[in-house]
Amino acid sequence: MSSRFPTKGRIIFHVDMNSFYASVEAAYNPDLKGKPLAIAGNPEVRKGIIVTSSYEARAKGVKTTMPLWQAKDLCPELIVMRPNFDRYREASKNMFEMLAEVTPYIQPVSIDEGYMDITECADLGTPFEIAENIQKRIKNELDLPCSIGIAPNKFLAKMASDMKKPMGITVLRKRELATKLWPLPIDEMYGVGGKTAEKLRNINIETIGDLAKYDVYHLKSILGINGERLQNRANGYDPRPVDPDAVSLFKSIGNSQTLPYDTTDEREITKLLRSLSEKVAERMKRKTVVSENIQVMIRYHDRKTITRSHQLHDYVEFSEDIFNIASELFFSNWNGKAIRLLGVTAQQLTEKEEMTKQLDLFTYENEAKNENLYKVVDDLSEKYGKDVFKKSVTHEGNHSVSTSFQKDFLDDFKRD
Amino acid sequence: MNTWGDFENVQPIVAKMLENSIKKNRISHAYLFQGPKGTGKKESSFLLAKSFFCKYLEGFNPCNECRDCKRIESGNHPDVHPIQPDGQSIKKEQITHLQKEFTYTGMESNQKVYIIEHADTMTANAANQLLKFLEEPKRSTMAILLTENGQSILNTIRSRCQTMSFKALNTKQLESRLVASGISEPISKFSAALTNDFEEAERISQDDWFAKGRTIVIKLIQVLMEGNDEAFLFLHNDWLPHFKDKDQSQIGLDLLLIWYRDYVSYLIERKDTIIYIDEKEKFEKYTFSLSRDQATKALKKILEAKNKLKANVNPTLVMEELVLQIQR
Amino acid sequence: MKFNVQRNQLMESVQDVMKAISSKTAIPILSGMKIDVTEEGVKLTGSDSDISIESFVPAEEEGIVYVENIEPGSIVLQAKYFPEIVRKLPEQTVEIESDEQFNVTIRSGSAEFNLNGQDAQEYPQLPKLHTENSFELSVDLLKDLIRQTVFAVSTSETRPILTGVNMSIKDQKLQFVATDSHRLAGRSIPLEDSANKELFSNIVIPGKSLNELNKILDDTQEKIEISVTENQILFRTKHLNFLSRLLDGNYPETSRLIPEQSKTNVMIDSKELLHSIDRASLLAKESRNNVVKLTTKENTSIEISSNSPEVGKVFEEVTADTIEGEELKISFSAKYMMDALKAINSEKVNISFTGAMRPFIIKPAEHEDEILQLILPVRTY
Repeated sequence: MSSRFPTKGRIIFHVDMNSFYASVEAAYNPDLKGKPLAIAGNPEVRKGIIVTSSYEARAKGVKTTMPLWQAKDLCPELIVMRPNFDRYREASKNMFEMLAEVTPYIQPVSIDEGYMDITECADLGTPFEIAENIQKRIKNELDLPCSIGIAPNKFLAKMASDMKKPMGITVLRKRELATKLWPLPIDEMYGVGGKTAEKLRNINIETIGDLAKYDVYHLKSILGINGERLQNRANGYDPRPVDPDAVSLFKSIGNSQTLPYDTTDEREITKLLRSLSEKVAERMKRKTVVSENIQVMIRYHDRKTITRSHQLHDYVEFSEDIFNIASELFFSNWNGKAIRLLGVTAQQLTEKEEMTKQLDLFTYENEAKNENLYKVVDDLSEKYGKDVFKKSVTHEGNHSVSTSFQKDFLDDFKRD
Repeated sequence: MNTWGDFENVQPIVAKMLENSIKKNRISHAYLFQGPKGTGKKESSFLLAKSFFCKYLEGFNPCNECRDCKRIESGNHPDVHPIQPDGQSIKKEQITHLQKEFTYTGMESNQKVYIIEHADTMTANAANQLLKFLEEPKRSTMAILLTENGQSILNTIRSRCQTMSFKALNTKQLESRLVASGISEPISKFSAALTNDFEEAERISQDDWFAKGRTIVIKLIQVLMEGNDEAFLFLHNDWLPHFKDKDQSQIGLDLLLIWYRDYVSYLIERKDTIIYIDEKEKFEKYTFSLSRDQATKALKKILEAKNKLKANVNPTLVMEELVLQIQR
Repeated sequence: MKFNVQRNQLMESVQDVMKAISSKTAIPILSGMKIDVTEEGVKLTGSDSDISIESFVPAEEEGIVYVENIEPGSIVLQAKYFPEIVRKLPEQTVEIESDEQFNVTIRSGSAEFNLNGQDAQEYPQLPKLHTENSFELSVDLLKDLIRQTVFAVSTSETRPILTGVNMSIKDQKLQFVATDSHRLAGRSIPLEDSANKELFSNIVIPGKSLNELNKILDDTQEKIEISVTENQILFRTKHLNFLSRLLDGNYPETSRLIPEQSKTNVMIDSKELLHSIDRASLLAKESRNNVVKLTTKENTSIEISSNSPEVGKVFEEVTADTIEGEELKISFSAKYMMDALKAINSEKVNISFTGAMRPFIIKPAEHEDEILQLILPVRTY
């Protein structure tokens, strides 16, 4: 095992695709390579706005959100294209699939960037080697450039990936903050927008280093709780975990899948419902949540889609229970026509910690027989905090974890 | 249709099976009556319900006189629950009502009957609830599901029911059903000759247009037989104003065809197939003036006229020509 | 059929039976009201098939004549118009007459209404009271039995039998039990005159019917006679019969589910506990299930607390009269507890716990055997 892997703390990657739309277009049509290229909302209209541009165009001063006429003034040979979102979705999906082969702990942030937690990937090489492999693979197989930041948390990783573009790999260690991070102007800090930067400059905070050392109470009086958070980050502290389900914001956890062919075969359907239920249960387990409402989505061969949900009187968390409810829902609502896609979603999620269960007169014995065990857990929790039990729950059986992203362009990116 | 005897004329096989179960006191908890429209499913389900409730059975026939029989007929029996689709399908409230009934005791006794028409239009959900009920059959409860589309009944439901297949009616059965439902014999024969759908036949029997058409046909024959050259006049004054377009003319010709066919049947002593049974006296009268050959020729001409109509020849022309050809 | 009747008496009866008539009924004849006239008087019947009410106007009572000129017979009248007609008739007496064709004439003074009636033969036949299998209670006791149990019936149709109250007679005791499987309410009373009769042993009455009955009955010491047939139950007071269909099926055996031993026993002032739980539930309402926690403390006090992550916490110590047995920490629905305490309506209550995951029992400190409220706790994780 590599000694470069720290024994404590985490290793976080921030993978950032370089001028993603333009790069995808160049990969699609190699003639565009090396040329100033811009993607604009509406190239025919001179008032159209630049969505993104290649590094060659940026070199001439072309910037995102610049009106088209202005960009043409700066760079007369600029090639302007309409966005091809289908291509970008496809590329994004491929990219995240490659990341997912490294670890299930991926948190997509947008179509072209995401975090990875590779703490437990020591067997794949040193962090730098892993980053190199990822970068190479994406370059070789997708012909797309990316920059990767390596750091002990999300904030530093994000800052690091910005330091060298395109095709950079930057390690940002905590001990390097003073030299690598602090000299940067405050408006380059991730999380500091125009308004915040202005407020900070008003109190003579010009660099990230200034922020790191500023009086926290004063800072809070100006920016509120966010002031403290920003200062913590400037000091290299960011406790946010890489959360594969972050985008779903805890409202629901769902998986859907298109069948290989439209079918009315009940066995086929049952099989899929079962596997979807398993995936949902897996993800619920990872988030330590339980659900009180199971929803089933049925899309027919003619794309007509219905969703039906069942309100439960109890919590469910195990795949068998989810499957039973989902299949009952399905079979009582299916009109018998051929099916293209099925989805199973657990809604009304509650953190296990906050959950309560009303016991039932006719079944309480099932629960009561474990009473002593629960009591031990309870007592220990009281003494040592609830985390004692959390870890084992969180990490068991995450080998086949799939991840999700609410935006539909990543819907397909759910590994089976 | 008030007795199993009536029903036997219509659906001999189903009738025998049901009669046997009543006789042996082995009525099933759930029946599926499947078969085309107008084959007696609903009537026999009510008949079965009566036999199930009637305390004055005569053999296996309900008395049709007692409170139970009468109220099953009028829809006021508190423990007989007929469910008809409200619009396209059986609605949720209807199933909620049923479901509630399943959990309550009966009003007068613990004997209950559920009759669900067009059971194939039940939503899958409703069907499933019914299924649950069929799974725990209560001793004195009976469910009868009726459907014209047997194949669209879920297998899980079908497997819990005893299936009775109702056959499409032949003319004789249709006729006896019509007579049984209170329509006069001449009209029943007449309607049954024109269609093999019971409801359609029932409609024809009650339709003034058909009744009048029948009278006009009989009149035309009379005019033709009297041979006093008034046929043309009659054609224009009575026939054509009644049988207006092509389709109606076809029906008129059918009616005429049946009359001549009946006449031939009369001559060859196959009197049981006669439709215009109230014309028998006239047939007798015409025996001397209208020969079998002439009648056969008339039949041929009528068929030709029908073909011409089909080929879009003007109905007035077709009729004028026909009248000339078959006039005596 | 023909009779003359005092309008006020008729009106009262009409109002009684109207409570059972529903405008939306699957059985057409039930949109009508049945009138039966015999030498004894006039009987009106209304029904929505679940419940039926029969009301009598006696021909004569304590020397006062209410109904006269009687020609026995029966008819069914549309309930939609009849009550308004009776209300608006000009005179104190009303004459009602029907002919063979079910035409009905209502006369009062110079006013005359002609209505189309329906054949009474079409109306459902309701069971009659048989004294050999009936028993008696006082009305207010019956109302207590209902009030103390019916709130615990299930409102969910998943187990339809639990939407009813289980009424049973055993060892000369009449018992009412209701449970929605999260709590159970039971009340029993001795039944002296049951010994020599062939009474039913176990039936389930729809909770909805009992709520209706409770509304219709006034609090009185008068007797009510109860008779059960295979499919209906009949409650008879002087001038009113209330009938309900029963729930079909077997009520689960609950007696064996009630713990017989206990590990922690608390005797406490009922009102104090009720109020403290009420206060704790103010915050508990915000979180799920309205859950409060009860913890035994030193010096015979218990702590009632609730914690709602978004809103805050509430703690309150209540002094108990006695606490015996093991320490305990248990969570339960505030609503169930309040319902139970209100139903018991006694100054002091005994609560017997058998552990945090097992049902606990609340009984009044006096008349222990008669009332039992059982609550299933809430498991927290």
